[in-house]
Amino acid sequence: MLLIDEDDMIVHPNWNAYATNTFKEFHGIDADAQLEAIRRWVRDGSTMVPAEEVAGAVDDLTDEEERGKLHFRLATHLRNAGDDDGAERNFALACDLAPHDWTIRRASMPLRGGDPFGAEFFELVAEYNEAGRPYHGINHAGSS
Amino acid sequence: MDPADIAVVETPPEVSADMLEELIGWTLKPQGLCRDERCVIVPDRAVLGSDDSVSLPAVAELLDRPIAVDESAGLVAIGAEREQRRSALRDRKAPDFSLPDLDGTWHALSDHRSKKKLLVAFSSW
Repeated sequence: MLLIDEDDMIVHPNWNAYATNTFKEFHGIDADAQLEAIRRWVRDGSTMVPAEEVAGAVDDLTDEEERGKLHFRLATHLRNAGDDDGAERNFALACDLAPHDWTIRRASMPLRGGDPFGAEFFELVAEYNEAGRPYHGINHAGSS
Repeated sequence: MDPADIAVVETPPEVSADMLEELIGWTLKPQGLCRDERCVIVPDRAVLGSDDSVSLPAVAELLDRPIAVDESAGLVAIGAEREQRRSALRDRKAPDFSLPDLDGTWHALSDHRSKKKLLVAFSSW
């Protein structure tokens, strides 16, 4: 989620948050802290990221990540058109180009006949953790 | 095709110059690649292809837009202008995007100006 103020300025770039603590042990993010941070912003405008650090807080996409998103789009287009081989070809390429992008890797699992809650998901989690949890956003995991 | 959109077009990567506007909304003119009031200078026409054709990857590069080609499927995907994304990261101004609600009614960010907005993106996987 992200916070946008009255003048349409992004005052807190995107970060991962959850409405409940059901999976807190898994992702390490405390929902209560995130919800309280949102309430605090509504009340007094303060955020978890100092204003001077907002610009530049999120790294731009790499060329490979850009192309990964486009091949994912080609894959869904081909899947919708009934070209399963073409879809798979582009899903595979998208995942190779952007291996840590969950909107590509995990989102493609059910579209490729896989299980987004199965073994391949946990393989993705292991890879992601080993890579240092790369994310184009603010990581508040463990914040309280 | 809006400059902020990703477009998937059914076409080979080399197209007739006449088709450019229909495919991506830009027209090749003597002064350059043009869309509405805006023109991007083409330093060397030969870079775009022969006289009667243009290369979409070369056009995308001139417009600073990423592109992916699947020649066997006859498909090209062209991404949004990189500068739009970069300026949002740098200047923090949220782009005025629009999304439909469950009834199909479109809502623009600018419809909610003067209010605080919490933007949530989620997936049910």
